[in-house]
Amino acid sequence: MPVSSPNSSSSSSLNRPHPAHATGGLSRVVDRPLLLLISCLGIVLAGLAGLDTGVTGLALVGLGMLLGMAFMGFQYGFASGWRRFLETGDGSPLSLHFLLAALCALMFIPVSAAGIGPSGSLAPVSLSLFIGAFMFGTGMQLANGCGSGVLFSFAGGSGRMLVALPFFVIGSVLGSIILPPVLALGSLGQVEIGAGLSGFGKLAVNLALLLSAAALFGWLGARRGFYLSRKMLLATAMIALLCWGVFWVSQHPWGVTFGFTLWGAKIASAIGVPIEDFTFWTWPGPQRALTHSVLSDTSSLMDFAMIIGAGLTAAVTGAFAKSAWPNARQLQAAALGGLLMGIGARLSFGCNIGAFLAGTASGSLHGWIWFALALAGSVLGIRLRARFGF
Amino acid sequence: MPQKNPLALRPRTLYALALLALFLVAIGDHLTSPVLSSLAAPTELGNACAPCGAPCIEKQPTAD
Repeated sequence: MPVSSPNSSSSSSLNRPHPAHATGGLSRVVDRPLLLLISCLGIVLAGLAGLDTGVTGLALVGLGMLLGMAFMGFQYGFASGWRRFLETGDGSPLSLHFLLAALCALMFIPVSAAGIGPSGSLAPVSLSLFIGAFMFGTGMQLANGCGSGVLFSFAGGSGRMLVALPFFVIGSVLGSIILPPVLALGSLGQVEIGAGLSGFGKLAVNLALLLSAAALFGWLGARRGFYLSRKMLLATAMIALLCWGVFWVSQHPWGVTFGFTLWGAKIASAIGVPIEDFTFWTWPGPQRALTHSVLSDTSSLMDFAMIIGAGLTAAVTGAFAKSAWPNARQLQAAALGGLLMGIGARLSFGCNIGAFLAGTASGSLHGWIWFALALAGSVLGIRLRARFGF
Repeated sequence: MPQKNPLALRPRTLYALALLALFLVAIGDHLTSPVLSSLAAPTELGNACAPCGAPCIEKQPTAD
C-alpha cells in the first residue's frame, strides 16, 4: 500500500482548510458558549454513567468521547470515502477502512476464540442483510454520512445532520418493526470465515482477506495517483486502539445504530405507541434495553459520549461558525437518506461500524456481504444525489 | 447554494437547542427508568444471533 508524504492528501476531508488555520489561530475560533454547554452535558453524562455502572460506564463514556474527537478531528468518514472511490477510482479511503478492520481483527478474533469473555460480532447471512445493506448504502450517500458520520457531523453542527439524525432514528424504529418478518424470509444463520480452524488459523485467514482487500484498494488508488496519507494512517491506528478498548470494556465490538433504535422506541413509547408489543421488542435483549435507562445500553451511552467528544472538538476548532444552512433539496435528501439508513441498519444488523467493521474484524461473512451490498447501494445513492441537485 | 432556513435560525442555534433537548430527554429517561448495575448489549440475552438481539431463525419454535 503506497504511502504519501505527510503533506499530500488522499482524502477529500484533508483538502479542506482547518477553521483555525483559516482564521489565523485556535484561540480566535473557540466557541466558548457551546464549549461550556457541551462540557456541562459531558460532566452530567459521565456522572450519571459513573454512579450507576462505575468504572465500566466511565471508561465507555471516555472511549466514546475519544472516538468522537478522533472522527471529528480527522473527519474520518465512510460515506465520502466510498463515494470518492466510485467517482474517481481513489481506493485509498477503502484501503484505510480494511486496514482498520485488520487491526481490529488482531484483537477480536483471538480473544473471541480464547473464550475469555469478550466476543466478536456475528450475524446471520439473511435476505434482510442483502436488502438492508443496499438500502443503507443508498441512504448514506443521500445523507452524506453513515452511522458514525451522522453522529459526529451532527455533533459538529451540520444542518444536514440535524435533519438526517431524527429521520435515522425514525427509520430504525420502522426497521425494528419490519425486521422479524423480513428475517423470516430466509437465513443461512451465522457464517464464520475459517470456522473449523484454530484461533490462530482463523485469524490468519481473516487477516489475509482483510489485508488483501486493503492492498487491492490501495493499489487501485495508486494507479490513479491517490496515496494513503500518514495522517489518515495515524487516525486509523488511533481508532483501532479505541475499538480495542471498547471491545475489552464492553465485551463486544463497538456499535452505533442500536442506540438510535432505542432512542426512537423510547420516544414512540412515551407518545403512546405500543412499541413493546412488536415482535422485535419482545426479544429478550431489546426488551431489556427498552425497559431500562437509555444510559444502561452500551451503544446508546457511547452514542451520547461520541456526540460530546465530537462536539467539544467542533467547539474548540470553531466548526459551528462555518456551518451554513443547506438548501431545501439537500435537506430532503438528508431526510430520505436518514430514513433509508435507519431501516437498512436494522435489517442488516448495523452500519459501517457495527456490521462492516465489527463483522469483518470478527471473521463473520455478514460483514463482507454488507460491504458489497452497501457499496452497490452507494452507486444508486450517488445517482440519486444528482436528482437532488448535488 | 446555501439558503436562509425557514425558522431564521442558524444551524449553530438549532444545534444547541437540539443537543440540549436530546440530553434533557435522555437524563429524564435515566432518572425515571430502572438502571442496570452493569452496562448491557442486546446480544447478551436469549438465543441472540445478531448484535441487535435477533434470535437464530432456525432455532425459533415453529407456529402451530
